[in-house]
Amino acid sequence: MEKEMNVTDNDNFDTMADQELIVLRKTISVDQKFATGPVMGKFLTALKDKRILAIQCPECGRLQSPPREMCAICRVRNREWVEIGPRGEMRMMEYCYYSSPDPLTGESRETPYGAIGILLDGCQKEEVFWHLLRPEHLEMVEMGIVMGDRVTRGTRLRPVWAQERSGSIDDIKYFEIDE
Amino acid sequence: MTRNVSICAMAQIKNQPAIWQHRFQGMLMECFESIMEQTQVTFDMDTGLRNVVTCSDDVFDARTISDAAVTDVVGAHFRGEEKVAQDGISALGYAMACILSGHDDLILVMGHCKESQSESRNMCTNLSFDPFYSRPLGLDYLNAAAFQARAYMEETGLTDAHLADIVVRSRQNGAHTRHARENEQVTAKEVMASPLVADPIRQMHHYPVTDWAVGFLLCCEERAHEFTDNPVRLTGFGSCMDSYFLGDRDLTAHFALKKACARAYTMAGITDPEKELDLVELNDACAYQLPLWAEGIGITGKARGPKWMEAGGMDKHHVNLSGGMLNGNPLMLGGLARAAYGFTQLQGTAGINQVTGLQRALAHGTTGAAGQHHAVLILEK
Amino acid sequence: MGFKKKNRHVGIVGIGETKFSSHREDVNQPEMIHEAVKDALEDAGLTMDDIDCVVHGNMELFEMVHQPDLWHTLGTGARGKDAFRLTTGGTTGGTLVGAADNLVAAGMYDTVLAIGFEKLQEGHTTGGITNMADPLWARKLQSGALTDSAAVKAIAEFGPDRAKKAAMLYRIIMDKHACLNPNSHRAFGLDWDQMADLMENSPPLIGDLRLIHMCSQSDGACAMILSSEEKAKQQCDHPVWIRDHITIHREETLNLCVNHYPNETTHRFAARHLYERNGITDPLDYFDVFEMYDPSAWWGADWIRDFFLLEGDAHYRLIEEKEIMRGGKMPINPSGGVLAANPIGATAMVRVAEAAKQVRGNAGPHQIPGTVNHAIASSFGGTMWTILIMLEKELNW
Ligand SMILES: [Zn+2]
Repeated sequence: MEKEMNVTDNDNFDTMADQELIVLRKTISVDQKFATGPVMGKFLTALKDKRILAIQCPECGRLQSPPREMCAICRVRNREWVEIGPRGEMRMMEYCYYSSPDPLTGESRETPYGAIGILLDGCQKEEVFWHLLRPEHLEMVEMGIVMGDRVTRGTRLRPVWAQERSGSIDDIKYFEIDE
Repeated sequence: MTRNVSICAMAQIKNQPAIWQHRFQGMLMECFESIMEQTQVTFDMDTGLRNVVTCSDDVFDARTISDAAVTDVVGAHFRGEEKVAQDGISALGYAMACILSGHDDLILVMGHCKESQSESRNMCTNLSFDPFYSRPLGLDYLNAAAFQARAYMEETGLTDAHLADIVVRSRQNGAHTRHARENEQVTAKEVMASPLVADPIRQMHHYPVTDWAVGFLLCCEERAHEFTDNPVRLTGFGSCMDSYFLGDRDLTAHFALKKACARAYTMAGITDPEKELDLVELNDACAYQLPLWAEGIGITGKARGPKWMEAGGMDKHHVNLSGGMLNGNPLMLGGLARAAYGFTQLQGTAGINQVTGLQRALAHGTTGAAGQHHAVLILEK
Repeated sequence: MGFKKKNRHVGIVGIGETKFSSHREDVNQPEMIHEAVKDALEDAGLTMDDIDCVVHGNMELFEMVHQPDLWHTLGTGARGKDAFRLTTGGTTGGTLVGAADNLVAAGMYDTVLAIGFEKLQEGHTTGGITNMADPLWARKLQSGALTDSAAVKAIAEFGPDRAKKAAMLYRIIMDKHACLNPNSHRAFGLDWDQMADLMENSPPLIGDLRLIHMCSQSDGACAMILSSEEKAKQQCDHPVWIRDHITIHREETLNLCVNHYPNETTHRFAARHLYERNGITDPLDYFDVFEMYDPSAWWGADWIRDFFLLEGDAHYRLIEEKEIMRGGKMPINPSGGVLAANPIGATAMVRVAEAAKQVRGNAGPHQIPGTVNHAIASSFGGTMWTILIMLEKELNW
């Protein structure tokens, strides 16, 4: 105990002010297999067929997409499925000038990019779907805003599907303006 | 202390080698639904659950703030949630404190771990060591345990044959325990022929990769009748941390386990553990740890582990009738599995291995390499 | 049955903080933690012999250390003590104080040492936070804790001119506070005449969230010692009493419009319940100081309304009339807040530590004028999670 405490006693280090301080650089990775489960799995499988599914709470009727096993508000298991979209209205955009590395690949996204919330047809209120905006359309879209009774409509968007679809978020390349 | 704490309900899924068909959220949901159904407990801000204590680990889940992923499936949306990130027996100890403090009447404890998700649990536990010295040496929980096993075998004369007996018995008991991992029954000869993974530890001496989730409803004693006719009281808890560097520790001296027990025994009013404990569940991630921890909790003397085994101590003291961690529970949840089994025994629902006339059980958990941190919980009828 | 009084009172008897900095290559993790532990023990006039239990917390993937309390035993002094590890994201520091309070009030321990720490320079912070998102979906989309949702909301409600000014006014007030706090990581010496320039020219991160609005990534540790009433009165002339604490979490974020229940934020929900059960009808009048976990100036400006249960533009008026400055009606973050330093696992504990120092009256150059009888500290983390901790100078409630 005594010994351990002395090792970290700051006063001992004052004489080492000119010492070279080595920083050890390491990239740490442990491969993972993430299960999707029957709920997320059903949603991801539908993306292969260009369909966007939402799961519905049996009590409050709330739609969730991507879906979750339970409705957190009602604390009950979700069971019913509804197809939503694929078109919708832009409700929120994060216009990102700064990009963090994707922790799954270590690669950084190109900036700027738009992370968007889309109210897909068939959804209401906060049932907003999170994805990316086509980069060329960043300056051409409007957010829809609901402030009490004041409603502003956002730009209509549609998904652009990837050629090869494997049941992942990348099955949708991005959303673009629906003209 | 002015109040007492009871476990009113417990729910678990089966321990399995790889639950590839569910996210860990789905595993927890099964436990959550069962607790709700058993107890009809509510989340009313005045009379119901206001706080959930979870147990999981960011490295094993590969998620920063792993509890953020489970708020919905443990019922914690717009309620409190606090994650204990060490062996889950500490989650039960902390949940006791929440109730004894008067801050809460009810606590839901929910734990999950999916060891099968990462390519190697040893790569994960290697990350618990300092990045400068011990980590590049390649230390992980398995090979740190090998140092302890060697030291213990040298000191006590514990042999490969003793270890084989522990493994054979663990698998027999595991086969009698509901929700235990299904393992092949083995003979002592087969155990002694299993490959060495970190000398002197053989593959069958080490608990197998396992996925599991479990939940407990804890309640202040005076309200337990609202949720069950058959509560089990928590009467003692203690934990203790040992030094970090293996070389700074005497690996067979029980420094931390003895202190943890001393505190739990004082709280529960136990003076002679050998006589007063009717059932003991030890967190034996490796076979050698069963007699070693048995010494530490005081049901046999220092360095007497092998002799105690030969005299039938494991069955006499009802040690690890569940099969123990050795039969297969994931890291983080070893202690919760011990407590879950103690709970079923005290409720009288343990099946073939049910002990009659039980009054008091000890459940034990460890965190870190070679038992750097120990915690023990006393459960009573 | 409702909410009961604690089994016994709990007081803060020791506080330790490291200097917060963007880099601490001169110390490793346990050494840095030890600085805070030593500071807290000295502040309390105690030694490790007086500590019964150590509670530790941080986020594992920021530094890529699994169960770091094991290694950190070298610096925490936990050997031979009961030891817990609790972590809840950004709220960790508040969780640790709440846990220490529960452990002491329970009668299980008389004196508990709580330690929050982070050495963010040893990892990639935004990448580390992004790691919290679901690997099957949101990890591809999230950018750490960066979001301009608060700006979007404020601009929609108050118009771009007033909203942007309020956020920048809030930012400069925080910097003026930070300049008085010797532990600050970032203290720029900003002045009012720079507002227009910063609003135009500070590098944009996301939408109207600019670099100047956002908190830093810091290295640092905080330690606090909590004791039972009986012990606290022996150990300390003026313990600061923990009256109550509340934790409110919410479901993980899988979309971009969050924080409605459907109409109440976690902050307002937590504040409403905490004040109700403690009989506080006018929090703005009751509390003398507020230490808020304000990850960005946009959030800080917005959240004042929820924490004090205000309506309309009352929170903007507090900012615009500089009532949130030292000497104002409700001083907020005299320490400079999270914009001045953000070692994540310690940050929420620093809020409680700074609020307690204000109650003691010995915060240092950033001590606010007048007596501080009632203080409140907030924690923020996860996907819009809240903890509130109430502190009192006297045991008279
Ligand atoms: Zn619902």
